Amino acid sequence: MSENEKAVVDIDRSVYDIKDVENEQDFYRMEDGFTEDIVMKISEEKHDPEWMRKFRLDCLKLYNSLDMPPWGPDTDELDMNLISSYVRSKSDMKGKWEDVPEDIKNTFERLGIPEAERESLAGVGAQYDSELVYHNVKDEVSDQGVVYTDMESALTGEYSEMVHEYFMKLVPPTDHKFAALHGAVWSGGSFVYVPKGVKVDIPLQSYFRLNAAGAGQFEHTLIIVDEGADLHFIEGCSAPKYNVANLHAGCVELFVKKNARLRYSTIENWSKNMYNLNTKRALVEEGARMEWVSGSFGSHTSYLYPMTILKGDHSQMEYTGITFAGKGQNLDTGAKVVHQGKYTSSLISTKSISKSGGIGTYRSSVVINKEAKHAKTSVSCDSLMLDSISRADTIPGMDIRTDDADVGHEAKIGRISDEAVFYLMSRGLSEEDARAMIVSGFANPVSKELPLEYAVEMNNLIKLEMSGG
Amino acid sequence: MDIKMNVNHLPALTYRFLKANDSEIDLKDLYIEDTKTPEPENIPSSVTVKSDLSEDDVKEIFLKVNEKIESKKADLPGPNGDTAPLNDGQIVRTGMGAAVDNLMKEMNVPVTVYTVSEGYKTEEPVVVKYSLKNGSCVLGSQVIHAKKNSEITVIMEYDSEENAKGFLGIQTRLLAEEGAKINLIKVQMLSEDVMHFDDVGGICDDNADIETINMQLGAKDTWGGDRITLLGDKSIYNNHTGYLCRHKQTYDMNYVADQIGKKTESNMIFRGVLLDEAVKTFRGTLDFKAGSAGSVGDEQEDTLLLSPDVINRTMPVILCQEEDVDGRHGASIGQLGDDVLFYMESRGIDEEEAKRLMIRARMESIARMIPDEAMIVRIQQYIRNIL
Repeated sequence: MSENEKAVVDIDRSVYDIKDVENEQDFYRMEDGFTEDIVMKISEEKHDPEWMRKFRLDCLKLYNSLDMPPWGPDTDELDMNLISSYVRSKSDMKGKWEDVPEDIKNTFERLGIPEAERESLAGVGAQYDSELVYHNVKDEVSDQGVVYTDMESALTGEYSEMVHEYFMKLVPPTDHKFAALHGAVWSGGSFVYVPKGVKVDIPLQSYFRLNAAGAGQFEHTLIIVDEGADLHFIEGCSAPKYNVANLHAGCVELFVKKNARLRYSTIENWSKNMYNLNTKRALVEEGARMEWVSGSFGSHTSYLYPMTILKGDHSQMEYTGITFAGKGQNLDTGAKVVHQGKYTSSLISTKSISKSGGIGTYRSSVVINKEAKHAKTSVSCDSLMLDSISRADTIPGMDIRTDDADVGHEAKIGRISDEAVFYLMSRGLSEEDARAMIVSGFANPVSKELPLEYAVEMNNLIKLEMSGG
Repeated sequence: MDIKMNVNHLPALTYRFLKANDSEIDLKDLYIEDTKTPEPENIPSSVTVKSDLSEDDVKEIFLKVNEKIESKKADLPGPNGDTAPLNDGQIVRTGMGAAVDNLMKEMNVPVTVYTVSEGYKTEEPVVVKYSLKNGSCVLGSQVIHAKKNSEITVIMEYDSEENAKGFLGIQTRLLAEEGAKINLIKVQMLSEDVMHFDDVGGICDDNADIETINMQLGAKDTWGGDRITLLGDKSIYNNHTGYLCRHKQTYDMNYVADQIGKKTESNMIFRGVLLDEAVKTFRGTLDFKAGSAGSVGDEQEDTLLLSPDVINRTMPVILCQEEDVDGRHGASIGQLGDDVLFYMESRGIDEEEAKRLMIRARMESIARMIPDEAMIVRIQQYIRNIL
C-alpha cells in the first residue's frame, strides 16, 4: 500500500479559519504582556468591585512566582510578552441577535450558532475575544428561575454575593501558573444558576471565538446546579489560524449540589497556533452526578484535564473523551478524579488518535482517599496510531488509600487491525472506506454521547476520509 | 557516609501531586564495609567468573550493543516530560537510573562478571547469596553475560540475621547476545530493619531472552528497578514479581521495557499484597520506540489490599512511537472479593484464614516458577512465619 493510500486527510477547518479583520475604530486592544498596570486597566475597564481588583493583583504576583510544570508539552514558543490579555469590540453585549455588529454576527452565523440556538438550545452566550457580545436565554427557561448571564453582570449585579462566595474557590489561583494568570486577567464567560429541583430539558451553550491575532482568552464559567436540579451545558471554541501564538487560559468551576446532575460537553476546535491551557473542575455533592463529554481537535498545544471531586456519599462521575492529534499538535489531555465520599464511583473512558506527526498524550489521576469507603473506579484508555511518525502515550496514575476500594484500569495502544480491514474488504468495502469506517467506529463511543447536531460537527471535524491511490 | 539520591524516575513525568515521578533515598551514617560479591556455591564449568573488574571493563562488554543502540536512534520527539536525559551516560540503562551508577563509582565497587560460553546452556543455576550480619552495610555489582546461543540461570538470595539492622544495595547488569537466554531470580528475605535497593538493567540482542523473577518479602524500605532494552529483533523480556509488604514497609519500584527491535515481546506480571500500613509505588512502562514494528507488550498488575491504612500508588505507562504495535496494561486493585470469601466460608474457612490462604497462593504462584525446590521451601517457610 502506498503512503498516499494510507494517508488520512486533515480536518477541513476552512469555516473556522476565516479571519475577520479587527480595526482600531471598532475594537479596543490592551497592550501586550502581563503587568500590574495592565491588570489594573482591565479591572477599571470591567468596573470590578474592590475585592476583585485586589484578587487580580494577588493572582498576578502568584503567577510571577509559580513555575511551569515539568511534565507537560513544551511551551517555550509561547512568548507571554507578545500576548494581549484583553481585546473587545466597542459594541456592548446584546440580548437580540440582530443588534450584534454585522462582522461579528457573520462570524457566528458561519459557525451555525444562531441556527443551533433556534433549533436545539435553551440559551446561548457568544464570546468574541475577551467579552460576550450576545447573551440570550429562552423565556420558558428563565421563567423556571434559571439564571444564565455573563460573568461581569453576575459579579456586579444581583448575584454578586454568590459569585464572591464561589469564584475561584474550586480552582484556587495557587493551583498552577495559568490558574493564577487567569485570576489576574479573566474576562467574559458565563454564570449559570439552576434552582433546586429545576430540570432544564434542552441544553444551554456558550461559544467562544478568539478572533484577534496574538491575543489571550481568559473566560470564566461558573455553574451552580442546586439540589435535585438537572442541566446540560455545551461549550464550543474556535479561532482562525495565525502565524503568532494565541493563548486560551479559561477556567470552569462547576458546583453540583445534592442529587443534582450536570452534563458538561465540549467540542474544542481552536486553531493550530493556540496554546490551550485550560482548567475545569467540578465539586459533586451527595447523590449527585457529573458527566463530562470532551472532544479535543484543535490547538497547537493543550493541557486539559477536567477534574471531579466526589465529595458527597454516593456521588458519581463519568468522563468520555476523544483527542485527535494531527500535524504540529501536542495535545496532552485526560481527566482527574478524587474520591472523598463513601460509595462514590467514577468511570473514565477515553480515545486518542495520532497522525501525521501529532503527539497525543492521555494523562489521568485517580485518587481514592482513606474516607472513601466502597469507592469504585474504572479507567479505560485506547489509543490508535495511524502512522509511525506520530506519538501516542498514556500516563495514568492511581493513588489508593483504602483497602475498601475496587479499582480497575485498562489501556491499549495499537493500530488499525489488518484483520478488520480484510474482513470489511471481503464485504465489498474499499480499503480506504474500511479504514475510515474503523476509525469512525473507534470515535463512536464519544459521538453517541453528544446531541445530534454536535455529533455531526464532531464527525465533520474528524473527516476521516481516505485518499484514493 | 550519607546516601542521598533520586532514583526510579518515571520515564515520562506526570502530576507532581501524585508524588510518583521519582523516589528519594536518604540514608545517613552508613559505613560501607563490603563491596565484594560473595562467591557462588557452585560454578558450572561453562561459566567463567571474573572479579574486581572496573566500569571500563563493563563498558567494553557492552560496546557492540551500545553502538547498535546508537545506530537505531530515531530523530523523533520523546514523550512530554521525558526523563531519558537524566540517565544519559549509563553504560546500561537500569530501572533505578544513573544515581546508582554514580554511587557505585564513588564507592569503587568492583564488578563481578559471570560469562557463559557461546552455545552452552548451564544445567544448574549459579546461586549467589548475600547474608547480612547485624549492623553491616554492603554494596555489590554484577554483570551476567550470556554469549551467543547460551543460557544461564542465576539465583540471587538476600537474607540476614534475625532482627538485623543494615543496608544492602545491589546493581546487576545483563547482556544476552544473539539467541542467548538469561534467567535472573532474586529472592529478598531480609530483616525488617534493613534498607535495601536492587537495580537491574539488561540488553537483549536478536532472538535473545531475559526472564526475571523477583520475590520481595522483607526489608524496611526497598527500592527496585528493572529496565530491559529489547534491542534485537524477536527479543523477549518476561518478568514475574511477587511482593508482600506489611507493618510500615515501603516498596518503590520502576520497571521499564524499552522495545527497539522488530517483533519484540515483553510481558510483565506483578502480584502483591499490602497489609497494615505498608506503602507501595509501582511504575511500569512499555516503551515502543520507532522501528519496533510487530512488537507486543503486556503488563498486568494485581494488588490485594488488606488493611484500611495501606497506600497503593500505581503508574502504568505506555509510550508509543510506532504504528504497528500492540501494547496493553491492566490493573486490578482491591480487597478480596465477596464471592471468594463466601466460597471460603462455605468450606468452613473463616475470613482471617481465607486472607492468609490468598496471600500464600499469590506469593507461591510466583515462587513456584523458581527452578530450585529448596528455595521454594525457604520462601514458603518465610511467608508462614510472617503470617
